[in-house]
Amino acid sequence: MSAHLSTPAAVAVPRPDVLAAERRMMLAFLVVGFSALLLGAGIGPLQALNYSGHNLYPALRPFFQSYYQGLTIHGVMNGYVFTFFVICGLLVYLPARELGITPNMTLWRGSFVIMLIGTGLVLAAMFDNSSNVLWTFYPPLKGSPLFYFGLTALGLGSTLPLPILLQMRSAWKKQRPGEVTPLVTYMALITMLMWDVSTIGIMTELVIQMDPWSLGLIHTVDPAISRTLYWLTGHPIVYFWLMPAYVSWYGLLANQLGGRLASDAMGRLTFVLMLIFSLPVGSHHQFADPGFSPIWRGILVVLTMSVAFPSLITAFTMGLTLEFAGRKRGGKGILGWFKALPWGNPSVAAQVLSMLTFVIGGASGMVNGSWQLDAVVHNTTFIPGHFHMTVGSVVAMTFMGMAFWLIPHLTGRALISRRLALAAAWLWFIGMSTFGIGMQTAGLYGVPRRAWVSALPHEAFHTLYGAAHIPMALIGIGGVILWLAMICFYIVFFGSLLFGRKIEAPAIPFARAFGRSESYSLERPAVPSEHTSSLARAMEPVWFWTGVATLICALSYVPIFWSFLRHMTLSPGWVAW
Amino acid sequence: MSDLSSMTPSERRFYEAGERQERIWVFIVLILLTVLTIIAMLYVVIDYNLVTKSGGQTPVIGQMTTDQAQPEGVAVETGPNAYTVSLVARMWRWAPGPIHVKQGAKITFRVTSADVLHGFEVQGTDINLTAVPGEIGLVSHVFRKPGTYYIICNEYCGLMHHAMASPIIVDPARPEAEAAQ
Repeated sequence: MSAHLSTPAAVAVPRPDVLAAERRMMLAFLVVGFSALLLGAGIGPLQALNYSGHNLYPALRPFFQSYYQGLTIHGVMNGYVFTFFVICGLLVYLPARELGITPNMTLWRGSFVIMLIGTGLVLAAMFDNSSNVLWTFYPPLKGSPLFYFGLTALGLGSTLPLPILLQMRSAWKKQRPGEVTPLVTYMALITMLMWDVSTIGIMTELVIQMDPWSLGLIHTVDPAISRTLYWLTGHPIVYFWLMPAYVSWYGLLANQLGGRLASDAMGRLTFVLMLIFSLPVGSHHQFADPGFSPIWRGILVVLTMSVAFPSLITAFTMGLTLEFAGRKRGGKGILGWFKALPWGNPSVAAQVLSMLTFVIGGASGMVNGSWQLDAVVHNTTFIPGHFHMTVGSVVAMTFMGMAFWLIPHLTGRALISRRLALAAAWLWFIGMSTFGIGMQTAGLYGVPRRAWVSALPHEAFHTLYGAAHIPMALIGIGGVILWLAMICFYIVFFGSLLFGRKIEAPAIPFARAFGRSESYSLERPAVPSEHTSSLARAMEPVWFWTGVATLICALSYVPIFWSFLRHMTLSPGWVAW
Repeated sequence: MSDLSSMTPSERRFYEAGERQERIWVFIVLILLTVLTIIAMLYVVIDYNLVTKSGGQTPVIGQMTTDQAQPEGVAVETGPNAYTVSLVARMWRWAPGPIHVKQGAKITFRVTSADVLHGFEVQGTDINLTAVPGEIGLVSHVFRKPGTYYIICNEYCGLMHHAMASPIIVDPARPEAEAAQ
């Protein structure tokens, strides 16, 4: 953690009491987020054991009525609450510290409070067994109004970091005219622009269809339109999870490794490409739906393949960044540099290990993204296998890794045990890999996702899924290892918050890049603008790129909605649990 | 002033080599993705009838046609060695009984739902189609091997979702030949 907060003259250092208020707010986002993960991931292994044929739900009767109730809680708490809180904290806090500008605290607190209310509502709706609709809540299954209004509040709160970021950036631009936005702020801004445009889908679905429908103001909804609106947001949401993890990899990790980021400009290009390609491709989640023409599916395949491009650029940049740090630390030979990385640092270990799982997770995404291959794996356990190897490892482990330096940074308390933190990272890596490989393999045997297969009579279970018993056993074993990982992690997380030794709070590990210094305002004196790379400058007009992305998104959705709106099918709601 | 001047000679060498290799990598990735895209598109063109355009809309949710002419879950001959099976998925069953189809024949499934979404997956094949109330989805398949296949619901449809499975029995094309073996 070699970064020091020496600021250039143009940027004022916020007063200590203001800084303390920002830290407290960030800590609140972090603690609520990880508490949601404690509940959501805590019941995850119950779902894993279901697939290995162990039905633990009857033993939990007073709290959980069914596997489907547990699965709803698992998806909502992990996918929406955990990620939204951690992300909406980080994407305001890190840019504020990078720029040395105080964020709009009212808006930031507003985001927190609105999302907290939303979380309360969805928790009430899920625990009273009224809304076992799973986290995708496809109608005509119908949950309670609390569920949909809670999600509406969560969605609304999650969009508020954007105006905060825009305010901070324009204040910074006034002080440093003509300069390129520092990297972390730039990445945070592109992430939020992408997210706020994409939420149009789910917010339209919730406000126009689900909210009034759940209240009884309207009696029917169109399930096909609902699904399409959902996936308009549902694919970009995976980038809303992933991009903040990339912020850590590009913007911070090189410093933690004791090296330098291989390329700042490629990081910017990566984010702009994700902004452009993530918005129009949501309907590839609907490859199995009737109503889409084959030509349309072909276009979606092309767009989906394009999404792999920015991730493959990241693979190169991260590989080079790791290699430089490893060689600087004395690593020799073809792979010696990898061994020489600072593996004793739990924050580094968690993030580098998560990159390894992303190799399988990303490759399986290419399978799901091509229509014909998707026909084999669609809605089998292959799909959750894929996203547990991406969001469940890359995002969860990177956020855990960030928590390992954020807690000392925010509270001035050291981690209570470095070894236990390392154990959490390794166990999560091993557990999630075992689980993910088991899920993907079982999916190839046609084992459906989201099915309470352990409640089937033994004979039926054996007839349908007997051929997949080895991968299904791996799923259960992976789940149990993940339980051990969670125990280690939460002892460190809450233990350090409450009982950590008092130390001097370390600074945020902002990294520095090779090459021209277009980034990291706190680290450098004002540099004339001709020193910045032409690629970084081309990425700078964020509104232009947002416009391009929005236009492509509109072009890809207008034909779909045009035909769906002319052939509405209106379904009444069903409560089926 | 700039970071370029603050690099040590070894850092500079590493950085310059990295820039070179980055260009090569981006080139390789673009070629790779182009080839993958072309292959994927080619297959879209070759078997574009895997899941065709929705077969249309149902007059009333859960009804295949106005006259209900076609019985549910029965293979009806529609051409030379071509059959159609109509299915109305309901919580939590696919068909009144086992569905018999012929080995080697082109079987077209017309699938809709009477209530919520269901997922029409036939284990061991690439048949995968969402059953949407009010819409009829079409999917065609030729069963090459005789035996029992299972339709498994792969779209969550309520409390007994996991129990929504029913058999498709593929009868041998030439029963005598099969029996003689």
